[in-house]
Amino acid sequence: MMNAFTPPLALALVDIGRIISLTLIAAGLLWLFIRAIKLKEVERRVIFLFIFISVAAPILFPTVFKEKATPVVKAVFDKIESLPPGSKVLLSYDFDPAMAPEVQPMADAFSRHCLVKGHKIIYMCLFATGQGQFTRTMENVIRPEFPEKIDGVDYVNIGYKAGNEGVLNVIISDFKKMFPTDVNAVPYDSIEVFKGIRSCKDLDLIISIGGGRPGIKEWVLFVGDPGDVPIATGVAAVVAPQLYPYYPKQLLGLLGGVKGAAEYESELVAHYSRFKDSPTPALLMMGPQTLAHIVIMAFIIIGNVLFIQGRRKEGKR
Amino acid sequence: MRYIFVIFSLVFLTFSAGLAQVDTLGADSTLLNIAPPAPISNLTVYDKANDHGHALILEWKPSPDDAAGKNTVMMYEIYRSESPDGPFENIGSVPSGNSRYDNIGILEKEARDYIPDNTDLYYRVDAVTINPEIRTSSEIFGPVRSYSNWFHRGRVPVLFAVLIFGGLMMYFVSVARKGAELYVRPLAGIAAVDDAIGRATEMGRPILYILGLGTADMISTIASFTILSRVAKQVAEYQTQLIVPCYDPIVMTVAQEVVKSSYLDAGHPDAYNDDMVFYITTNQFAYVAAVNGIMMRELPATNVYMGKFYAESLILAETGAVAGSIQIAGTDEVGQLPFFIVACDYTLIGEELYAASAYLGREPLMLGSLKAQDYAKAAVIILSILGIIAANFGWTAFTNIFKVLD
Amino acid sequence: MKRTTLILMALVVIFFALSWIFKAMAFKGVEEHYILQGFLVTLAAFLTLSIMSFLYKDNPFYKFAEHLFVGISAAFWMSMGFWSTIVGNLFPRLSEGMSNFFKVHYIPGDYNFFFYVPVILGILLLMRLSRNYGWISRWSLAFIVGTTAGLNFIRYLRSDFINQVSSTFVPLLVDWQGIGHFFSSLNLSASGQFIMMLANWVIFLGVMCGIIYFFFSKEHTGLFGRASRVGIWILMITFGASFGYTVMGRISLLVGRITFLFRDWLGLNI
Repeated sequence: MMNAFTPPLALALVDIGRIISLTLIAAGLLWLFIRAIKLKEVERRVIFLFIFISVAAPILFPTVFKEKATPVVKAVFDKIESLPPGSKVLLSYDFDPAMAPEVQPMADAFSRHCLVKGHKIIYMCLFATGQGQFTRTMENVIRPEFPEKIDGVDYVNIGYKAGNEGVLNVIISDFKKMFPTDVNAVPYDSIEVFKGIRSCKDLDLIISIGGGRPGIKEWVLFVGDPGDVPIATGVAAVVAPQLYPYYPKQLLGLLGGVKGAAEYESELVAHYSRFKDSPTPALLMMGPQTLAHIVIMAFIIIGNVLFIQGRRKEGKR
Repeated sequence: MRYIFVIFSLVFLTFSAGLAQVDTLGADSTLLNIAPPAPISNLTVYDKANDHGHALILEWKPSPDDAAGKNTVMMYEIYRSESPDGPFENIGSVPSGNSRYDNIGILEKEARDYIPDNTDLYYRVDAVTINPEIRTSSEIFGPVRSYSNWFHRGRVPVLFAVLIFGGLMMYFVSVARKGAELYVRPLAGIAAVDDAIGRATEMGRPILYILGLGTADMISTIASFTILSRVAKQVAEYQTQLIVPCYDPIVMTVAQEVVKSSYLDAGHPDAYNDDMVFYITTNQFAYVAAVNGIMMRELPATNVYMGKFYAESLILAETGAVAGSIQIAGTDEVGQLPFFIVACDYTLIGEELYAASAYLGREPLMLGSLKAQDYAKAAVIILSILGIIAANFGWTAFTNIFKVLD
Repeated sequence: MKRTTLILMALVVIFFALSWIFKAMAFKGVEEHYILQGFLVTLAAFLTLSIMSFLYKDNPFYKFAEHLFVGISAAFWMSMGFWSTIVGNLFPRLSEGMSNFFKVHYIPGDYNFFFYVPVILGILLLMRLSRNYGWISRWSLAFIVGTTAGLNFIRYLRSDFINQVSSTFVPLLVDWQGIGHFFSSLNLSASGQFIMMLANWVIFLGVMCGIIYFFFSKEHTGLFGRASRVGIWILMITFGASFGYTVMGRISLLVGRITFLFRDWLGLNI
């Protein structure tokens, strides 16, 4: 796995690749801009091609930008940081593979942070497919980086239960009723992590990671507000704007899309030197993001030039 | 020989026991010398408010020897009994420094933590030192009973909101039923629908009406039916062609009825046929593919999207724009509004969809609820202004009214 | 089918067959089931490329991938519904025999007569399949709609109405110590007085004007009309932000797919 903080081996090759791809994109955009002034339409497939190159080039020749956590992201980080070791944190995997590129890095980063702080984690999911996503965290984070952590003592996976907000409505008053065992059929009462936990109200922090329904909104409505439990979230970018109104009273912080994830990762690396060599997929993703955004902005300008030119021509007629 | 062995063993045992005794004395001599701590005072036990019973709360004034005085109190142990004479059972403990214990029972009768409701209970709190033998018990508090509450006082704000909003709603619906004129301002999007139908007639091209992906019980779909009825009526008058592809079979059945009665109202029942409103499939992207095909083949003059839309919104609206149709959209799905706004000529934003339907349909239920919502919005504006004034002057009493507890 | 189409399809098949072989060889010694693993990665790459090919033109590969996806997801959700709702939630509360049969953990003492109510309602819902008795399913639907409406009404009223209204109670003058102090300590830091006050003013005016825009009982003229214009501006800015976020989200998904193609499939690790 590539890492954001170790210089790539083939440095020279990477630099050449970067220069070539950037020149290619810049020259192409300039050509399209000139065509736009001359009022020649741009074929949609050309746009797709540009987006593809602008995303693919930084993946092949990784470029990493420095990120600084914004207050909404910092709030989540500081919360986990300030909890005393042994605090009970619930991570709910409310997403499917379709959302994973955006939110899996957040889920992994939260797991890393909680485990290194010595918090006890309860993993669950409101999406049936969230189970598979947890397996990824298990294989990529917990097993290789925290082999000393024991299932049932330091973390527990209670899995998926059907019922959407109905599940939340039950666990706000009684965990055991909905989750009599964990995924390995270990009874609730003999799980170390659940010592002293009867309901969600006994948790120190709940983090929902997702972007669909059921998801963070249901957590706020059915658990956070009625139970007065601190809730944080990491969400897919599409739904982030709809969740901002809940910050900071009903949501203590939120990570919106891959930018939020990248900020969190950079914060984690800055605070804990042991994560210097851990994968930072979100930070790596910011390279393609930035370039693609620049290209899209260029296309917005080109589109507007076309539009204005078209109007002017019509006016002349 | 046997006797010797027994005697030897006895001597050995006594000796070792004595040694052990000496040992513990040596180690624990400081612990044994602790003076008993002062007891806690002012123990009160009361029922936990706003709950389903089976829970009591204990509060006390800590022992003077807790972190001060002799500084010997390590923790407080809580004891409970059903009689003042005991036996008292230890039900839990809290570290020193605490002056409260929430005794929340489990609901199952068999469980050890079960607290019976409406039964006299007696409590005692012991101040315990590092040597658990040395402790001082408090006076016994009791009798106290736990009971369940019918009414959760922490949720009064919600009750008031329900009453006010429900009352407004019922009032305006009944007013509308009686036939009173309730004013709803005209909306730009609705006027655009009229223009678009005229344009379609001039061009001799059809009008495509999409009801969205919602089911027949969703408000946005219901609102869409009302707008469809209006569109169909005008289409019938102008003798233009109407295409209504449906995603949900029940929605299709309703839509057929709606269009049929509109044609009847317009005086052209003969112009209606069931093929205008047809079912495609209940699979999101398969539906989109089919509708996109219709758009590119039929090249409708106008596309109307009203109802519930999800990820398909942009795909539909973009294809419509490529086909060169005039597009009017309306949805209450906030996440999809940006796409409709960029790709359509007119967009009814959120509640405007309901308003448009109330404006066109004049149905008492829709009109009444729209009016009630307007009053609720006015209330929000007033409350927000008052709240901001309160926040500026630090009047927490006002903001506390809005605190909902659980 | 045209001959060129056939040749093209054959080429694609050969290409991915080769990919399978190469992938399997690469996995040999690393993975236990290297042939299967090679096939899975190749299949994933094939399906990804098939879907992406739609950007160029609609084609049979795209159609195949789409139909496969639709079919598999329908089957997945159906089996998931059975195993997690009926087997996972209902049987452990209803019958020990059934729980043992399906190897799920029986919850003793949780048996309750009321659990038969959802069973009956569920069966009624299935009556939808019958042409003559389909109307019976409306009883279950009414139950679902009624309970969720009731449950949501209270929750929404509380979280989205009362709590959101009280969230707008923000002081418009933050840390106010006179106008002289305001200008002398003016800075643009996020936690500075000026930015905090600006944020609160935006919240206040944004909420007011936004609500006024959605006020339907009064003609939008005069001051009211101007406030409503500001309201629509605020809405449009929100939509713009939302659009921007969506672009970011979609690019992330594309990055995810391309990373898969480059790294996991082609093994390009520079």
